Parts: sequence; structure tokens; C-alpha cells
Amino acid sequence: MSEDTENFEQLRRLLALKRHEQPPPGYFNDFSRQVVLRIRAGERGGEVTILDQFSWEAPWLQRIWAALETKPILAGAFGLVLCSLLIAGVVFADKADVASGTAAPSLETASLPIVQASIGAADQPFLARPVSLEPSSTGPIDAAKTDELLLNAFGKLRAEPASLSFPGAR
Amino acid sequence: MELVKRARKGDLAAYDDLVRRYQERIYATVYHMTANHEDANDLAQEAFIKAFQALKSFKGGSSFYTWVYRIAVNKTINFLKQRRNKGQMSLDDLDFNAEHDPDLVALISDKTPRREVGLAELQEKLNAAMQKLSEPHRLAVTLHDVQGLSHEEIAKIMECNVGTVRSRLFYARQQLQAYLSDYLK
Repeated sequence: MSEDTENFEQLRRLLALKRHEQPPPGYFNDFSRQVVLRIRAGERGGEVTILDQFSWEAPWLQRIWAALETKPILAGAFGLVLCSLLIAGVVFADKADVASGTAAPSLETASLPIVQASIGAADQPFLARPVSLEPSSTGPIDAAKTDELLLNAFGKLRAEPASLSFPGAR
Repeated sequence: MELVKRARKGDLAAYDDLVRRYQERIYATVYHMTANHEDANDLAQEAFIKAFQALKSFKGGSSFYTWVYRIAVNKTINFLKQRRNKGQMSLDDLDFNAEHDPDLVALISDKTPRREVGLAELQEKLNAAMQKLSEPHRLAVTLHDVQGLSHEEIAKIMECNVGTVRSRLFYARQQLQAYLSDYLK
């Protein structure tokens, strides 16, 4: 075997170049899938369908389906679990709707501070009573009450004769 | 062997694992024999498909690896006999490490001023020289000098004795050296 290491040393170095020849990046990621798809297509005697591709891309689904097919008890249990989840989902959804319809507003009003503007009647005759302002877009100021106050104030106004005097006038 | 047993029962997930395990070596062997990526892709896939179909006849006398290799090699040799003198090269790109391989750097540094051109030219000449060899000689060089298999493993794959492998290897190297004398010091 001395020829292996002596006479062909340069050739061996050159042949090393072949090891650097590589297929396109990612080529081997899809290789085994292609093989399996072709095997499945061959078993069915036809082309590779989209369903074949999907079922092979989700092998967990394939395993679950195979287990359900072979074990009826497991299929029954699986169906029971699914029904229970569905019923539980419906019940909880109803409860959540009821709770949100009653509890939410009371919580809002209780938690938000009410700012009261206390202005004396002497200073502002249009505002005889303090107006409560709630700093919330969902609780607007009661417009009817404020309108009433303003109209009452207009009713109490009295007309008085004006006296005008100019300097130098008799 | 567990995967092989499962695959024999028709478990495609197990066979998928087996394909993943050997795909690179099988592809590389077929590619170095054909010097064509598309042909290598088809032949390697067909070899794995045939192996799956023939799994029931696999007795386990040799390893699954050797058995699949043998299927791929026979398929490739049959293909090359039909394709003779009609094949065109479609070479894979060299990977980034080729430029930094000390053996290759030493080989081309005083031959070409521009390394990239030198490597591409060398790759083409080398593949052309390989294609001039007969299939058994090309296979011996591919399996031993490119893929690093032992004489014993090659003998099992080629279904011949170790002495035959050695003599094929020696003759193939002599031929290659003659074809590539311009590129060897």
C-alpha cells in the first residue's frame, strides 16, 4: 500500500476537491420527504396529491388519525373529551356575558373619583347648585340638569332704569 | 435495526428516519459517478424507493447501509450504461471551505494567479477525467478516495473481493494521473 501514500499523494490532494462539491443549500432538508411522497404515490398508483403532502408535513396528525382508526375506545374517549370541552366552553361563555353585563358598570363608577366643582351662587348666579363632573367619556355630564339651572337664572333677572350723566351737562 | 424492522412493516416515518441517515452518502456516491446533480437526485431517490419496496427481501445478512449502497450503485451503473456518451455534466458548486483547504491551496497557488478561477477549472478537469474511467474504476475511486470507505466495505458494496478493489483502485489512479498530469507536479 505504499503507492497509496507516495505515488498518488498529489492526486489524492486533487481528489479532495470532490468533497467540497455540495448540492444547493437546503437540498437535503426536503430529500426524504420527496422519497416518502413518491413511495406513497406509488402505493396508490398515482400522482402526489396535496392531501398527501399535507398529511406528511403534519406527521403528528397522521399518528393521531392512525391511533383513532385502530383503537375504538381511544376514539370514543377523544370524542368525549372534545364534547366536554365544547359544552364547557359554551357554559363559561354564557357566564362571562352575564357577569360583564352587571358587574362592569358598578365597578367603574365606584372606582372613578368624582370631581365636584363647588362654586358659590353669589359669584356665579347661573350656577345655583354645584355641578358634578365625572372625568369619564362613558359618564357624560347630565345636560338636562344644567339647562334647567340656566333657564331659571334667566327668569330671575330684573330690568332697571339706567342713569347716564356726562361731565359738563346740565 | 429497530428502524429497519418498523420500516419493513410499512412504517413510513421510520423509513423517513433511515433515508435522512444515509441520504447524503448515497447522493454523494451517485453524484460523483454521474457528475450531474439532476441525475444524482433522481437516481438517489429511486434507489431509496426501490430499497423500501424490496425491504421484505432484506434478510439482514449485511448492514442496511451496505444494502442500500448496493442498490444505488447498481441503479447508477445501469443508468450510465444507457446514458453512455450522452451525459452532460451539471456540477454542484464548491463550498466555501474549498478555498481554504490547505491541500488545494498548495496545489493551485503556483499554477493560477486567481484562486477562484483555478478551483473552478480544476473541478471541471477532474470531473471530466473521472468520467473517462470505466464505471467499476470510477466507483472504486469515489468510494475510497472521495468518500473514505475501507477496502472491505467497498468489496461488500461492489460484491467482489478486496484484492479486486485494490487492483481497480490502483489502475484508476494511474489513469487519473495520466489525464491530469498538467495539474499535478
